[in-house]
Amino acid sequence: MKEKNHKRRTIFGRLQKTPKWQAEEFSEIEYKPTTVKELLTEMKDISELIIDLAYSAIVFDSDEIAEEVKYLDVRMDKLNYDIRMMAMMAARTKEDAEQLAGILQIAEAAESISNAAGDIANLLSLEEKTRPILPKILKNADEKLFRLEVSENSSACNRQIGQIRIESETGMRIIAIRRSNCWIYNPQSDISLKAKDWLIVRGTDEGFIDLRDFLSGKTGGLE
Amino acid sequence: MDKTAEELVLEIKEKSELMVDLAYSSVLYDNKTLAKEVYELENAVDNLYYNLQKRALEDVKNQKHSIEDALTLLRIARAGEQIADAAQEIADVELRDVELHPILKESIQDSDVIFTRVVIEPISILCNKTLGELKLASETGMIIIAMRHENRWLYSPHKKTKIDPYDVLFAKGPEDSAQHLQDLAQGKTQEI
Repeated sequence: MKEKNHKRRTIFGRLQKTPKWQAEEFSEIEYKPTTVKELLTEMKDISELIIDLAYSAIVFDSDEIAEEVKYLDVRMDKLNYDIRMMAMMAARTKEDAEQLAGILQIAEAAESISNAAGDIANLLSLEEKTRPILPKILKNADEKLFRLEVSENSSACNRQIGQIRIESETGMRIIAIRRSNCWIYNPQSDISLKAKDWLIVRGTDEGFIDLRDFLSGKTGGLE
Repeated sequence: MDKTAEELVLEIKEKSELMVDLAYSSVLYDNKTLAKEVYELENAVDNLYYNLQKRALEDVKNQKHSIEDALTLLRIARAGEQIADAAQEIADVELRDVELHPILKESIQDSDVIFTRVVIEPISILCNKTLGELKLASETGMIIIAMRHENRWLYSPHKKTKIDPYDVLFAKGPEDSAQHLQDLAQGKTQEI
C-alpha cells in the first residue's frame, strides 16, 4: 500500500520553495523505486547548476544564494545514496556490475563537484573583511554571471522564455529565477517571466546589455 | 609571464568548468580523445594551483594581499581544483576498457543543456569566418566549447578563431538552437 505513487518530482524547471537544508540533511533514507537514469540525469544537472550558483553567491555577496547551494549539496548526497541502492538492485551479472561501476563513478564525481561548490558558497561565512575580494576575482571572465530584475514595463512580462528566445537571441543562459521566496532552477522554454522576477544569467557583456535593456523595458524586443 | 593571483584563480575556474563540459561530452560521444584532453587539462590545473600557492605566499610577504585575502583566493582555487579532479574521474570512465552503460548516454542526453557535435561542410556559410564575425553565442545560443581542426584540438576558442571546412565543433546550448547549428554546419540553412 505504501507503494502508491512514488513518481519523483524533479527539482528542475518548476517553481518551488526550497526546503531548509538543515531539515533535509539527515532525513531518513528509504528505498524508493526510481530509475538509475532519472537519478543520474538529476545529479548531472545539479552538478552543472551548482557551480554557477556557488560562484553567483560570491559574486553577488548573497547569503540567500549560498543557502540554495547548501540545499542542492544536501540533495546531491541523498541522490548519491539512492543511486548506489538502485545500482545494487540492478546488478545481476558480472557485465552489469562492470558497467554499473562506471555509472557510480560518475555519480560520485557529480557529488564531489557539489561538495566543492558547497565549499565556495561557504566562503561567505568567513569574516567580513575578506569578502570584498571575492567579486573582484571573476570580473575579468569572458562569460560572467549577472543578476537582472524583470521590470513591469518590459514586454517580457507574462511571456514564455521560449517565445522571447532569450538564449538564442542574446546567448545569455538563465540559470535560475527567483520569484518572491521561491526558485526555479534551469527554467525551460515553457516558463513565463513575471514582473519583479530576479534572474541569474550567464553570458557575455554584450548579451547582457541587450537583455538588460529588454527586461528593464528600454527596448521592446530582442532583435 | 607573471600572472596575478586573481588571474590564476580565474584561469583555474574557467579550465575546471571546461573540463566538466568536456568530460560529460566524452561520455556522451564515447570519445576517448576528449577524455584524454581532460587529463591534460587536469595537469594544467595542478600547475596553476601550484603557481597560485607560490604567488599567494609572495603576495603576503610583499604585503600585496592580507593573509585573509590570500587564504580566500586559495580556498576558491582549491574548490576549482576539486572540480577538475571530479571531471577527470568522469573522463576516467570513458577511458576504461569497459563498454559504457547505455544509461550514461541517455542521462546526459536527457539533461537540460545538450551537447552537440557538428561537422562543417564546405558549403556551410560558417566556413572561413571567425567566431567573432559569426557571433554564434549571441545569434544562435550555442557556445562552442571545443573544436577540432585536422588533428589539432582547440579548447575555449576565442573571437579570432577561424572555422575551416571539415572542422568539428563541440557546442553546448538549448535543444532548438542545436538543430539550427546543425543545419548551418551542413549548409541546409544559409542564414544565421
